[in-house]
Amino acid sequence: MPGVLIVEDDKELREMLKMSLLRRGFTVIEAENGKDAITHFKPFITDLVVTDLIMPEEDGLKVVIKLRELKPSIKIIAISGGGKVGPGSYLNLAKALGADAIYSKPFSINDLIAKIEQLLGNEQHN
Amino acid sequence: MSLLNKTNYLKRKLEISDGNDYLKFLTKEKDIADQIINHSRSMITIINRDYIYEKVNSTFCNAHQVVLDTILGKSMGDVWGHDTFQNIIKRNVDICFSGKTVQYEATFYTPQSGKRHFEVVFRPLSVEPGKITHLLAETFDIDDLKNTKQAVIEKEEELRKFESNLPIGFLRCDPKGKILHANQAFLMIADCHDDMLVNSMNLKSFYLEEELFDLQIEQLTESHTKNFGRVSLKSCYGKEVPCRISGFLAVNGSGAPAYIDFAVEDCSRELMLENRLLQAQKLETIGSLAGGIAHDFNNILATISGYSEMLHEDLPKNSALSDKVGKILGAVKKAQSITNQILTFSRHVEQEKVLINVSEVLKETIGFVKSSIPSNIILKSRIPKMNAYVLADPTQLFRVFLNLMTNAIQAMEEDGGKLSVNIAVVEKEFVQHELNKDIVADEYVLLTFKDTGEGMEPSLIGRIFEPFFTTREVGKGTGLGLSVIHGIITEMEGEILVSSKKQEGSVFLVYLPVSKSYSTINEKKNLSRKKILFITGNKYESRILSLALESAGYELVFISDGRNFVKVMTNVRERPDMVIYMIDSKQITPDDLVGIFKSQKILTPCILITDPTQEISDEKLLNSGIISQQLTKPVSLKEIRNAIQELLR
Repeated sequence: MPGVLIVEDDKELREMLKMSLLRRGFTVIEAENGKDAITHFKPFITDLVVTDLIMPEEDGLKVVIKLRELKPSIKIIAISGGGKVGPGSYLNLAKALGADAIYSKPFSINDLIAKIEQLLGNEQHN
Repeated sequence: MSLLNKTNYLKRKLEISDGNDYLKFLTKEKDIADQIINHSRSMITIINRDYIYEKVNSTFCNAHQVVLDTILGKSMGDVWGHDTFQNIIKRNVDICFSGKTVQYEATFYTPQSGKRHFEVVFRPLSVEPGKITHLLAETFDIDDLKNTKQAVIEKEEELRKFESNLPIGFLRCDPKGKILHANQAFLMIADCHDDMLVNSMNLKSFYLEEELFDLQIEQLTESHTKNFGRVSLKSCYGKEVPCRISGFLAVNGSGAPAYIDFAVEDCSRELMLENRLLQAQKLETIGSLAGGIAHDFNNILATISGYSEMLHEDLPKNSALSDKVGKILGAVKKAQSITNQILTFSRHVEQEKVLINVSEVLKETIGFVKSSIPSNIILKSRIPKMNAYVLADPTQLFRVFLNLMTNAIQAMEEDGGKLSVNIAVVEKEFVQHELNKDIVADEYVLLTFKDTGEGMEPSLIGRIFEPFFTTREVGKGTGLGLSVIHGIITEMEGEILVSSKKQEGSVFLVYLPVSKSYSTINEKKNLSRKKILFITGNKYESRILSLALESAGYELVFISDGRNFVKVMTNVRERPDMVIYMIDSKQITPDDLVGIFKSQKILTPCILITDPTQEISDEKLLNSGIISQQLTKPVSLKEIRNAIQELLR
């Protein structure tokens, strides 16, 4: 089954995401911040990453840039609870940096899963 | 020398001398007298009752550059010309012969010094007892004196002008504080235009705390010069005026206090700007704090909603438990709307901006408000056609205007009143003066919302833009409204100001920078435009959304009845790229919509906009499969654009 990496510093939210993905049969890898996600990145078993943006250590924007570099074909979904840098929001920046989809928290988990399935489904067709 | 002394003096002289000696003595005395007269700096002449010069000193001769004989024995008419004598001189000479000393000033020409200013004095002389036989004419050159006097007057006038034009109040008081003199600026501060009145008062009576004045006088007696910093004065009408005061005490020769000078500077504007800055800093701090909390809250809400959705899936549909989970999801939505508002206030939400004419948004908002305004409230507005283009999200502007007008109406709900709404474009210099902030545009749109409602206490005015601050009863509103408005306007680099008086009403002023790029407005029109069909019940609100979308480059078509809808949807050439359905439409109900989509086999993506305050069931519509995306009011331009872009990709 496709592997999904969840990068989220909020433990409860991370567990919720993990549970919902496991229910749909995905393999789940967890990281609690950007640094952890980058250093322990396993390109062969990770097809998609769901990353928070505002986190301690390395933030999510760094995750988007670095993982895209390490595995260009990886699908990325950025999630955020708000926050701006300069004139733009973190989410828009993430999108500009190459995230395939963005969701602001709180989001509908069903929508998110549907998006993940759509992104990974497209890849299989390709 | 008195007559008696003179006789005694002569007697003594006579006792010691004979007749010859007496003559010698008299000659000597005359010689001395002549010398005194001739060496005087004044021109001296003696004139008899026939106006004939009997004696003339050499100063006179020198000044007129004549020899003595040409004057002696001549009449005044001969010397000065008969006209001058008759018209000017004779009158004064006759007064003098009547027994009065005459003194006057005249300008005349002398060959020695040219045209100069003189003082002329005629004194009656009695050579025979009891009879005025002659007059003594003395003429002093007072030209230098006169010039000096004039220079002093001019200097004084200059000083007076300087002092009265000074933007700082200036006062001279006696050592007890009685005002001896006050300049124009002080009269302005005291709001009193009767300088006589002010000049009869004691400065102490202008002090809000009179004891403070006594203390300051004591301090001045010790140190002579002192800056007292900010002191509250009161105007003649009792209005408090914050002033900056400094004093200088001058002493006389013996070291006792002579007078005190005070400089009084009105610092109400400075204080107002300081307060405003403080307020802005406070809101900034609350903003970043609240923004942080909202961010953490959104994480928690995401967890709650995620688990609830999973539960919802696991539970049998329409079961009691599933309903309860549905309620949790509903609560999450409400909480999310609050965190969103906090994020808007703290400017953590990025606004999607388009070039928009503020007057159009205002016009639509007024139309919307008018449709539901209570009968005891009059809404007066004057919205002329104007180019008031700003970069903004029209839906957010609508929210700002709607909120300000709703607040005003609520403030007048009980007793009725008048709400006046105005719009104008003002120059940056005006804004600079009013706001004292960084100017980002050459012009600003100034919107005024004025009500005659209950008004606010001064202590509340400074707090109304804080989040969760409300004057309404507990449970009525979250108190986020004005803080969100503040966030939206600040994000646009604008400013919102308020002034209010209890029982009189409030005025809200909104300044928005006019966008420099409004000349490029027509350039977008040539892009290949996507066609969007809009089905809605509320024309004003939808007009705002359409203003937003049209500015973003979409073509909008409004449909209000079912027949037209079918016609448009079935005609291949007219068929839109997307349908936006607002659930408040009364002409096309959700059932109609589903019916048409199903019967005509329409596959066009459809966005549903629901209103959380209206209890129209959207369950059936959502389950029908025709809705591609659902949005909840208030919908921002960014949300709807993202939804459209996502669906049209």
